[in-house]
Amino acid sequence: MTSLPAQLDSHIRVVIPENIAFEYRVASPFERLAAYVIDLLIMAMIVGVIWVTSLLVFGSLNQMEIGTGLLLISLFVVAWFYHGLFETYWNGQTPGKRSMGLRVMRVDGSPINAAQAILRNFLRVADGYPFVPLFGSPDLALPTGLLGLVATASNRRYQRLGDLACGTMVIVEDRSLAGKFNETNDVILAPIHELLPANAVPSRSLARVLSRYVDRRRYFGPARRSEIARHVGQVLVKQYHLPPDIDHDALLCALYQRAFLSQQDDEEPTLRRSTRPLALSDEA
Amino acid sequence: MKAAELIESRSQQWQQLEQCCLGLERYGKGRLDAKGRTEFASLYRSACADLALADAYQLPAGTVRYLHQLVGRAHNQLYRSRRFAYGSWYEEMFQKVPRRLFHDGYLRVAFVVFWGGFLLSGFLASKWTPVPSYAESVVTQEQLMEMERSFSEPIGSSDGASGGEAFAWGFYVFHNTSIGLRCFAMGLFFGVGGLFATLFNAIYLGACFGYMTTQPEGEKFYEFVTAHGPFELTAIILSAAAGMRLGMSIVSTGGRSRGASLALAAKQSLPTMLAAVVLFFLAAVIEGFLSPSAAPYEVKAGVAMISTLLLLFYLVVLGYSEQPPDEA
Repeated sequence: MTSLPAQLDSHIRVVIPENIAFEYRVASPFERLAAYVIDLLIMAMIVGVIWVTSLLVFGSLNQMEIGTGLLLISLFVVAWFYHGLFETYWNGQTPGKRSMGLRVMRVDGSPINAAQAILRNFLRVADGYPFVPLFGSPDLALPTGLLGLVATASNRRYQRLGDLACGTMVIVEDRSLAGKFNETNDVILAPIHELLPANAVPSRSLARVLSRYVDRRRYFGPARRSEIARHVGQVLVKQYHLPPDIDHDALLCALYQRAFLSQQDDEEPTLRRSTRPLALSDEA
Repeated sequence: MKAAELIESRSQQWQQLEQCCLGLERYGKGRLDAKGRTEFASLYRSACADLALADAYQLPAGTVRYLHQLVGRAHNQLYRSRRFAYGSWYEEMFQKVPRRLFHDGYLRVAFVVFWGGFLLSGFLASKWTPVPSYAESVVTQEQLMEMERSFSEPIGSSDGASGGEAFAWGFYVFHNTSIGLRCFAMGLFFGVGGLFATLFNAIYLGACFGYMTTQPEGEKFYEFVTAHGPFELTAIILSAAAGMRLGMSIVSTGGRSRGASLALAAKQSLPTMLAAVVLFFLAAVIEGFLSPSAAPYEVKAGVAMISTLLLLFYLVVLGYSEQPPDEA
């Protein structure tokens, strides 16, 4: 597993058997806390259902203490094995993690096995330290999870102690659907295309920057857009001898269109076509 | 060909892969059928190829991000978690674990700490003690009174029809096994946490045992604890040893990196911990059903002897071996 040297955000790069590298976003402790709270509610519901059933069944048989015994056994099983069993049989997810779009996996991107699922959840207790006693009773203590929080803060993959022992991490499974191509209809680009020389096609790295900018520009107001676009725009104005009062935002949009959208003839269509893995209907 | 056209021509396949993922993520009805699964494989491979060539295609950043998450999501459906391999667990539990325990230095430490603390604390709390108020200072006065009260009636005198045994069984499974698992998890703190938990349990139990020698109810107390004692006390020691192995692996790494050393110790200590859980379960069964019953003392002592022999068989007969190679 290699990592980008320039990694600043919480994306983790894994190399998979298909011999490509792709990125996951690791889950933050607070996303995981939300999943944990959902799981706690479900656990309480399971125990509640067993409790009511045993009340009805054994209460009617006048054997209430058997019912309470069963309740305590189920409490034990649910408290210690709920997470582990779900993560084993649901491919690294519990109901809470599923609803939050999280998944447990090994640090190398492969799936976890049963032993890892059980152990990382046994060690949840250690992550819960220090405990705060509730109502002055030492038996009823609330885990603060501070130790787990410190552990997640001190490594790149936000692993708590249980994760460190098992070599696992929790990632976010993004479920966004295929997006539309960015529309740049709000600015008039035709005059800028005329001003730009015909061979002004952005380089690969500039195209990448442009696409990042255009992805995000709809979140900004006009003043902020021109402030951001100015840094690249001023360089481009000098390079292509454009009028200095040109709208930098529109200039970047025009170049973006040239890089990704324009219908002008490709200079090396045969070469591009040969690198494509599958035959496509691309006789455009 | 420009990126926009490429995306347009490929996005249909990507959306198809998305639908396959949705189908695989579902459980029960609506799960992806066999035909969909064969398509899934080829769709996944082509999405991988698209991602690998994203740079050559000059795809915009948003699309690359989308491809990353799509491939990641499909990858998680293709490679699924492995479930319990029962065959290898048999080998682990009856061959590897006893051999590992036989050579386990942490088990010896936990054994000495527990029994040493237990006997010392028992002596200090007993009627021969040099420190008369020792028991009261370790265990609170109310708890001692509570203990006396619960053994004031003859064992087996309460009517057995109410199902009290099942309640007791459930209580002991929940309470004692949780203590053991917590003892294990605390071991992660450089082994010191597990040592502390072991010593605490030893001193507390020792004080209770010693204190009962000063009381008239003592005889009933010892009759009660006889049958389940071997399994339960061994289970506590096993969980402490498993936790200590975990914690000490961070301190003494044997030449590995601390992370790798911890991972190896975790893999080795989990089966030990599960063996302890099984012992806690057995102890709870005995403690819930046999110990409080009116059965003669000979039966209870017999159960204690049989369980001790079973433990010795597991640890010594199954465990007697050369030093296993992964312990070096």
